[in-house]
Formats: sequence, structure tokens, C-alpha cells
Amino acid sequence: MRTSSDHILTSHAGSLPRPDALIEANRAREAGATAGERGYDEVLRQSVAEIVRRQRELGIDVPGDGELGKATTQRINYGPWWRYSFLRMSGLSPGGLTLYELPPRRSGPDEVVLTSFADRRDRTRFAAAYADPASGITTGPRPPSPVCTGPLVYTGQQAIAVDIANFKAALAAAGVTEGFMTAVAPGSAYRIPNTYYKTDEEFLYAWAEALREEYKAILDAGLVLQLDDPAVADNWDMVNPEPSVDAYKKFTMVRVDALNHALRGLPQERIRFHLCWGSWHGPHTTDIAMRDIVEVMLAVNAGAYSFEAGNVRHEHEWRLWEDVKLPDGKLILPGVVSHATNVVEHPELVAERILRFANLVGRERVIASTDCGLGGRIHPDIAWAKLDTLAQGAALASRQLWGRRA
Amino acid sequence: MRASTDHILTSHAGSLPRPDDLIETNRAREAGEPSDEHAFRQTLRAAVGDTVRHQKELGIDIPGDGEFGKSVGNRVNYGAWWNYAFQRLGGLDLAGPNLDHMTPRLARPGEIVLTNAGRRRDRVRFAAAYADPVSGVFMGPRPAMGPICVGPLTYTGQDAIKADIANFKAALADAGIEEGFMTAVAPGSAYRIPNAHYERDEDFLYACAEAMREEYKAILDAGLVLQLDDPATATSWDMIDPEPSVEDYKKFIMVRVEALNHALRGLPQDRIRFHLCWGSWHGPHTTDIAMRDIVEVMLAVDAGAYSFEAGNVRHEHEWRVWQDVKLPDGKLILPGVVSHATNVVEHPELVADRILRFANLVGRERVIASTDCGLGGRVHPDIAWAKLEALAQGAALASRQLWGGRA
Repeated sequence: MRTSSDHILTSHAGSLPRPDALIEANRAREAGATAGERGYDEVLRQSVAEIVRRQRELGIDVPGDGELGKATTQRINYGPWWRYSFLRMSGLSPGGLTLYELPPRRSGPDEVVLTSFADRRDRTRFAAAYADPASGITTGPRPPSPVCTGPLVYTGQQAIAVDIANFKAALAAAGVTEGFMTAVAPGSAYRIPNTYYKTDEEFLYAWAEALREEYKAILDAGLVLQLDDPAVADNWDMVNPEPSVDAYKKFTMVRVDALNHALRGLPQERIRFHLCWGSWHGPHTTDIAMRDIVEVMLAVNAGAYSFEAGNVRHEHEWRLWEDVKLPDGKLILPGVVSHATNVVEHPELVAERILRFANLVGRERVIASTDCGLGGRIHPDIAWAKLDTLAQGAALASRQLWGRRA
Repeated sequence: MRASTDHILTSHAGSLPRPDDLIETNRAREAGEPSDEHAFRQTLRAAVGDTVRHQKELGIDIPGDGEFGKSVGNRVNYGAWWNYAFQRLGGLDLAGPNLDHMTPRLARPGEIVLTNAGRRRDRVRFAAAYADPVSGVFMGPRPAMGPICVGPLTYTGQDAIKADIANFKAALADAGIEEGFMTAVAPGSAYRIPNAHYERDEDFLYACAEAMREEYKAILDAGLVLQLDDPATATSWDMIDPEPSVEDYKKFIMVRVEALNHALRGLPQDRIRFHLCWGSWHGPHTTDIAMRDIVEVMLAVDAGAYSFEAGNVRHEHEWRVWQDVKLPDGKLILPGVVSHATNVVEHPELVADRILRFANLVGRERVIASTDCGLGGRVHPDIAWAKLEALAQGAALASRQLWGGRA
């Protein structure tokens, strides 16, 4: 992985706004317009090329493919980052219920279980706001969740090969040496109904084994692999009633172990891990404190850690790096611009945020990033303006950290 | 005005979420439907009582009346803070053109004019986002018509302000609170409507100042703190096309500040606070003028305290302005430390961090923790209240750091 050796590098958390033509092509494809398959491939390829070029123009040093191969048929969509994986697995059957409609499950003091999405504690506390279409919390389509009814096997070989080919061609065309591609972590993916595996853990490890194939493909292609694992943080809100921090950490460590199992033997220096508290525009009052899960995060066998630090629930948490030692050789990618507000961060604020981290862990170990994916969560034009300000803020910070040369 | 003598006091910028029954009554009255005036007055009075009590429960030291006397007929509403004035001024025809459709005007060096609200520069730059109903920029139903000045401006809101004051004072007394604030629009913000009567812009501005002075006096005579809402000091920048020089802009704005000071002549500065903001709509705000460029203009207002946005990502970094700018002796600031600009509720520790930055620069006694802008109509009511709660919790954390364990 590139490090900020002579200026603060910039990247982002993955999802970028899909061009309308691609959204339309996804829609036609989903509707079964197979005649358009070749046309779809072309739209996707061009869209990836265009989005990499655009990131480069804005000054994003380590671009992604915008998750464009993870299909969305609507402009507002918070789900492709994990739903894409359902299309790349056998053993899943169409289900009838959305994750919101599943029955709630109650946790006990010694037994942490995940409840339904609708029973999340922040959602329960602010039920009226979440239900109000004018509140700005809407998260787009809620398709029924698949159900696991047979052995999980990775079947996405062709899909990931296409994603990789599109992205590598785009990087080459733009003259960019390093790019990252996201893949969902087992602890986040496995949160769907299962009638096949006997225990939760068996199901979790089955996901880990299956997804490992995708991780390997991305890494074998020479790309940086970003593991998306919001579940590490956002499961806290999905345990009702609120558990003890210790019980939660134990619960989450099982998921981290499964992820590490999937990553065994893979090159840690090209793996980055993305933690977030869920990207929906809710109050987030029940988010667990970063301090309580930072050790769990650092137990992931990754070389870099991406996390939210640019929204008002988590901005203050830079201080934890006063006490927590970032293991040698590892990097952080704090979010310094966020999807959580339409207001575009002032470059000076972006610089200030970067400097706080750089002063604590060292300038070479900070890559400026976004809280979470911007695509589907904010208007496309605002998303691009935020990447623009991210690059400007990083340039300001670099000038302060390296002097005039940068 | 109370100062933060033994802990960081809390207040907010004015507007609070109206209860649904008040919104419905307002909607019916605004639509000209027959309404029971007695029942309306009862509803309003009870609502003001509730909102003051609620603020006290959450730990807001200096409450307002939530601007409840300023009619809002829809849950989403960004305009009541100034639209109310058109109901209280004679000389206006309320059936004029919608303000978004006023003729756009181009400015020239040395000759600053405001264009219309629809041609604001941020709005033009992000036209697709502003026009997209799901972008979150939606500002509520736009009135079909707008006011136009067709005769001499006079203040006709005596009964309305009297009722507002009576409701609020009763609510404060019931809650056992000594000090409360009431908002009124400043002339420089109010006069931005079409004028077919006065020969010059400045005549119109000063007529507005003279008329509104009566409301300011009524609020102050009642022993309340007067908050002057004057976003135009900052938002006019975005409303000048093309972008002017900072010098031209400051000159233009100083004329409005002088008109405001004219309206405030002889009034007790120690009970007047001034509210500056960059417009509360949920847009990108990339064309907001820097606080540094207008802070002197703001401080030229004859007020004892200054409220401004400092809790959103476009202005959060501007606390540093106070490293170089001296706050005049005896004056206070009310920085926004929670904001309407995000649904996410500020963490109390972030609120405390923000307060401490200001307290360390201007002195703890001179900081009152506040909101960026009114919360009512701009975020969901339940989120608005949660933000006031986070504000009070954050102020308590900051107080403990600033005064030690006792606070």
C-alpha cells in the first residue's frame, strides 16, 4: 500500500455516484433484458473508466472503482456494498421478508443475538423520525432478504473478473498505480436468515470461506482489498437491549476471527479494513464509542484501518489515538469528509482534522478518506464536491506537515 | 443578559418544532379558512408554555418562545423567522410575486445589488441538487405569492407582539425562569422584497428600521432579551452575482448595519443579542463568505452578544478567528455548537470540545453555548429536541473542565 511519504494521500470509502446510464442499464438487466447484456458490459466498463479519471482529476491519489460493479437500480441506495454478494453465492434462495420485517430477538446478559433492522435501538428511540419521509433518513429500496438453504459456494468468479478487468484498465488508462476494490466481510454479510447451517458460527465461517475466493482474486490482481465490515460497530445498535461492552466485544471478536480465517496467508500490506456505524442519515445516538471497539478493530489482520471521524457523532474520537498505539507499519484512513450532511466541508476544516491524526500517529501513516461511501447517500454533485474539498484539505495539511515543497 | 459566571450557559438560535395542533391551526388561518380565534389563542398559549417547560427540563438556561407566535403551517419551514414580519407591517401588498421569481439582477464592481433567491450562486452551481426532491435540500412548500411594498411602511403588529410577550412571560414565570429571549427580524434581512413605493433602496431599508424599532422596543420594554435575526449580513454574499470584492461587500453590508443601529438607538445594548447565519437550508454552502471577512461588520452592530454558526462543516474551523479578533469588552458570544445541518446528533464530547475552544480564546464567562440556527422546521422535531439535550450535556462537560468538579 502506498503511504503518505511526501504528502497526505487521499482516498475514500468506496461507493461513488453511479452515472444515470449505468443505473438505467442495471434496471434493464434486473428486469431480464438479456439482449442488453453486451450493452450493459460496455456501459459498466466505460463508467468505471470515467469514474477513475474523474477521481484522478479531483486529486484522489488512491482511487476505487466506485463499487460500480455492485449493481444499483436507484440513485438512493445504501445497500449494494453487501447485497452484491448475494448474487455471487449459491446456497441462497429468494426470501419473502425484508430484514426490517424479521421478528425481533431479545438478547440476554450472557447471550448476544442480533435483532431485526426495524428493532435497532436508535430506530426505536426515534421511530417517528425514521418513519417520516421528509426527515431525510430514507435509505432507498428494501428488497426481501435471501435465505440460506444450502451450502454456500462462491459463484462470482466471472463477476469479480469483470470488475477487476474494468478497474485495471481504468487505472492503466489514467496512469494510476494503486487502486482499491471493496468486498464485504463475513461478519457483515452473514446477517441474513439461515435454515441450512446448524449454528450461527458455522454460517459465519461458511461465508468466510466463500468470500475468501473474492478476496484472493482482488489481491492476486495486484489491487488493494478493502474489507467492508460495518457490523463490527453497527451490530451494537442491533443488540436489544443494550449489552455490556465486554459481551459485545466477545461477540464481535468471533466475527473478527472468522474474517482473519478468511484472510489467512493473504498479503496484509495490501488489505485495508473499513469500519463504520451505518451510513443512514439517522440520529446515531446509540453508536458504540470507538474507544470500546478499537482493539477489536486492530485485531483484524489488515495493514490499514478506515473509519468514520468526520461526522458529529465520531469527530471527537481522534483523541483515542492519544492512548491507543497504532501497531507499527500500519496506517489509518480517517473520514475527514462525510455523507452525513449536505454541507460541503471547508478545506480548512478538512486540514484541521487531518492534522489532528497526523500529529498523533505520524504524517506518513494517515491517508485522508471519507466517512463512508458517498454514492447513493448524497446527491451526486455534492458527493463530487466533497471529494474535491477532501483533496484541497489534504493539500493544505500537506503544506503544513511537509513545508512549502508539497 | 446573564453571563456564564459559574457554568457555561445554554441557549439556542430561536425556532423550535411547533406541536402538530398549532401547525394545523396556523395552516387553516393562513389558508383563510374559518378559525376559532379564542381556541387559537389558547392553543398558542399552551404550546408556548410547553416549549418553555421542555427547554428547562433539557437544561437550556436561556429559553425562547420557540418563535411560536411566528406562524408556521407546515412541519418543514425555513421562512417564519422573517415572513412573520409581513403580517405586522402596513404598506405591503401580500399578493405580489413569489420572491424566487423576482427579476435577477447583476452586480458590478462598486455597485452591489442583490439578485433573487433562485439565482443564489450556490443554488446555480448545484442546481440539480437543489432541484432534486430527495436530496434533502427541500425547504417546504413555497408560497405562491410574496409581499411587495406599495405604501409607507408602518408597524401594525402591536397586538401580535403583545400576545407573544404575554404568552412568553407567563410561560417563563410558570417555569420559574428569569431570563428569556425573543427574536425579531433585522431591517437588512426584512427589506429584501420588491418595493414599488420608496425611491431608493436605502429609504426602504430605513423605513423598515423605523417600523421594526417598535417591535424591538416592545420586547425590551417587557424585560426580555431581544435577539435580532440578520442572516442577510452573511447570506447576501451568496445573493450577489457575480461574486463581489470583499471590500465592496463590507461597504454594502455596513449600510444595513447602520440602519439596524439606527433602529436600536437608545435601546439597552446589554439585553440585545445579534444572530448571524449563512442561511439554514441544507445545501452545500460552498459560496458562504468567510466569517473572518465579516466579523468586524458583525461587531459593529450595537448588541451585547453575538450568535453565529460554528457547528457545521462549513464554519466549524472558524473558531480560530478569535485568535486574532478581539471581542469588545463586556460582550458575549453564542457560537453554534450543535447544528440543524445534519440529522446525526452531536456527541456531547464534541459539543464540549467546541465550547472549550471558544472559552479558551475569549474567556469562559463570555461564551453561551447555542445552536447554529433555529432547529424548528429544519430537522425532525424529535431530532431537534435530542440536539438540545446533547447541547446541555456538552455544556455540562465543558463546565466541569472550566470550573472544576463543582459545576
